[in-house]
Amino acid sequence: MAEATAPMVSLEGLVKTRSQNESVFELHVPHFAVRPGQMVAVIGESGCGKSTLLDMVALVMAPTRVGRFEITSSQSEGPCDVAALWARDDEDALSALRRDLFGYVLQTGGLLPFLSVRQNICLPARIKGGDIPASRVEALAARLGVAGCLDRMPVALSIGQRQRVAILRALAHQPRLVLADEPTAAVDKARARAIMDDMHRLARDEAVAVVVVTHDVDLVMDRADVAYTFDTHQVSEQVTSSLCRPVNGSGS
Amino acid sequence: MTRARPLRLIPGLAALHLRHEWILTLCLVIALAAVISPLLVLLGLKHGTIHTLRERLVEDPVFREIRPAQTREFKPEWFEDVSTWPGIGFLTPTILPLSSVLSVVRTDTGKGELFDLIPTAAGDPLLLENGGTVPEDGEAVLTAEASRRLGVAAGEEILARVTRSRGGRTEAAELPLLVAAVLDPRAGSLPRIYAPLSFVVDVEAYKEGYAAPARGWTGDTPEPYASFDGAVLLLPEPLSPITRSGLVINTGFGRIADITEDGAGELLGFSPPPGLAAYNLLSPGASITASNLRAIDQKLRGHTRVLLPYVSDVEIRFGEEELRLIGLSVDEEQAGILSLPQTPWGGYTGRLPLGIRDVLWPSAREEVLQQKVSVRSAGVAALEFDLHPVGRTALAHPVVPVELLGVLRTATQRAVAFESEAGRFEMARGGYRGFRLYAHSIDDVPGLYHRLKGQGIEVIAEVEAIERIQVLDRGLTRLFWLIALLGVFGGTAVLVSSLYAAVERRRRDLGVLRLLGFARRHVFFFPISQGLMIAALGLAAGFGGYAALAGTINHAFASELAPGEAFCVLPGQYVPVFCLITLALAALASLAAAWRATCIDPAEVIREQ
Repeated sequence: MAEATAPMVSLEGLVKTRSQNESVFELHVPHFAVRPGQMVAVIGESGCGKSTLLDMVALVMAPTRVGRFEITSSQSEGPCDVAALWARDDEDALSALRRDLFGYVLQTGGLLPFLSVRQNICLPARIKGGDIPASRVEALAARLGVAGCLDRMPVALSIGQRQRVAILRALAHQPRLVLADEPTAAVDKARARAIMDDMHRLARDEAVAVVVVTHDVDLVMDRADVAYTFDTHQVSEQVTSSLCRPVNGSGS
Repeated sequence: MTRARPLRLIPGLAALHLRHEWILTLCLVIALAAVISPLLVLLGLKHGTIHTLRERLVEDPVFREIRPAQTREFKPEWFEDVSTWPGIGFLTPTILPLSSVLSVVRTDTGKGELFDLIPTAAGDPLLLENGGTVPEDGEAVLTAEASRRLGVAAGEEILARVTRSRGGRTEAAELPLLVAAVLDPRAGSLPRIYAPLSFVVDVEAYKEGYAAPARGWTGDTPEPYASFDGAVLLLPEPLSPITRSGLVINTGFGRIADITEDGAGELLGFSPPPGLAAYNLLSPGASITASNLRAIDQKLRGHTRVLLPYVSDVEIRFGEEELRLIGLSVDEEQAGILSLPQTPWGGYTGRLPLGIRDVLWPSAREEVLQQKVSVRSAGVAALEFDLHPVGRTALAHPVVPVELLGVLRTATQRAVAFESEAGRFEMARGGYRGFRLYAHSIDDVPGLYHRLKGQGIEVIAEVEAIERIQVLDRGLTRLFWLIALLGVFGGTAVLVSSLYAAVERRRRDLGVLRLLGFARRHVFFFPISQGLMIAALGLAAGFGGYAALAGTINHAFASELAPGEAFCVLPGQYVPVFCLITLALAALASLAAAWRATCIDPAEVIREQ
């Protein structure tokens, strides 16, 4: 759908090496791109490196080597060289990109327990230096079915409600890209489907690109514009290598 | 996004976090308050106790006072001398305790009280350091007790009534006084009234029967007595050895010496006629007065004789010239023996003659013929007065009543004033019966104490108490700092551990904050804000606890304390200093936690459950 536009996240020739005790894990990402408005699914079993890829896209983990890593915040401005930012460890610039462009949905929501639901939802916008009109918060909450929870603390919500609130928090401040890490892992299949539907619909209405990481192929395949998966093989006793590739049939 | 100021959100988030974990926060605040309160109480106790003791023993002028232990006479010269000693802060003479009781009456109700009248003067520390001012003439300062008994306050007028009994009659003099100030209770619990020395001296004089003309108080005038260095005895016949030696027994004279005519002439200023036996009666180092001369006269009853008292060392100046005067008071009989004319003022009687300033001017000196001769005499206080020429004399020097020379001699030892209006000599005050002495600082007290004792003056001073307090002060200060050090360590340790633990506990939340767009340097201030907030809350609770405890302590010891004193008191300037130090320590204590917070890697923590 957005073939003509430049990708807002563009990764080429990325290698990430992680070592733990004796074992070494190598992730190779030859090509990864997210275009505006796209829903990108990253599918794989646990340990394949999908969360590592998401953390690098989320700018909280530095790639070991990368050929090209650019983020384009808007079409009028040129791309931002993330590889260069990591090279000089420009933490301020990276966190500025995070707060301006991204929204996050963590596996268990990642809501701050000491803020109310409403405060959680408004926090990203406030970090950006703005605020979200109460009407928008309430409208979005109504769409996700958590309108009655706005003034409660996260601890008082069910897990499904928490995930919906987390999706709200990730979207409410109008980011360009929402990164979702197994957003439905903690709920049953039926509920997961509903939550995923809601997120998909909302992202499309808000024209926000989504990268969703999941191990559940069925959940995303019919919704994703692009999907990536991982081929893992044991290089040696210690070294495991994983290659990220587009799933056949999905456009990129 | 240039509008983004994530740092501004940190304190709010930190506060919400503290509120969310309110039980832990409360415990931490209580723990801090439990350190801060006792420290404040200790600081308050140290300051209050030592201050109270210092106030009492060091800064209260009473403890800088050196009091005479016995009543004795102190001459004005003594005061002049002592006031030049180093370390003297204030010195004023005082009068006899009995003479100092003054009746003070309220002008409106007529209610009267008897107060002790104490002299004061400019710079009196007892008054100035107890909320008073130094009264001017016509003013007085009351002690708190005096003010209470009389029911008058500063600015009101009172009436001082001095009473005396003279010749069987009771007389009273009154003078209105303005109450210039009322002293703090600290200045003493006795009812006292402080007034300028001149007033006190006038009151004393009035009580002794004398007048105080400047105040319109009538009474006697103290007449100076004549004193002499010796007497020349002239007789037609020499004395028998027994009579001769009898003259120095019980007469106050110490020695009798044969002298020649020339010797007599030297002493008297004129040569007696030849053929008379001449003796010099003297009493080295002492003064000869009328009673001594009377005693000699008694012993020589029946002898034909002339007893001529003389004065050796009185310096009289007539303009620029030093004037030698002949003191001679002889009646007709004595004049006959001396082959001189009788003096117009009569013979020596022991009392001052009316014409004490009469003079017989030498015929040889024609230059002075006017009615008055102005002369000056040196003495304790210089005297300046006129002589009245009443005739001529054949002698070489002007002749005056010997009593005049006697008075002038007395004036070299005691203050004598010449009252030009009344035209007479008056005895000025001799000495004082005591003094009020304040050392410049407490450190001067021991030195002055020993110097006065060295003069043979028994004095009382709080030398030991002062030294004790200084030792106690140093000891308590050291003790306070030791305990304060312990408290600071404890409080800081509590903060360090709690904040660090909070960061460890909230790693995931801090990681989420990073993920949401806070940089490392932003989350750095999360624990710092919390440390400062907890310290602020701890300070508030600590001060609350201090206030309660200090109130209890002061209440419990109220009976031990004078009004206006407190055992536990924190001076205002300590409070901001204490708060700043606490907040600075809290910020320091949260540095470890802050550093820990910056080390959090969001990628590691956001998936933690």
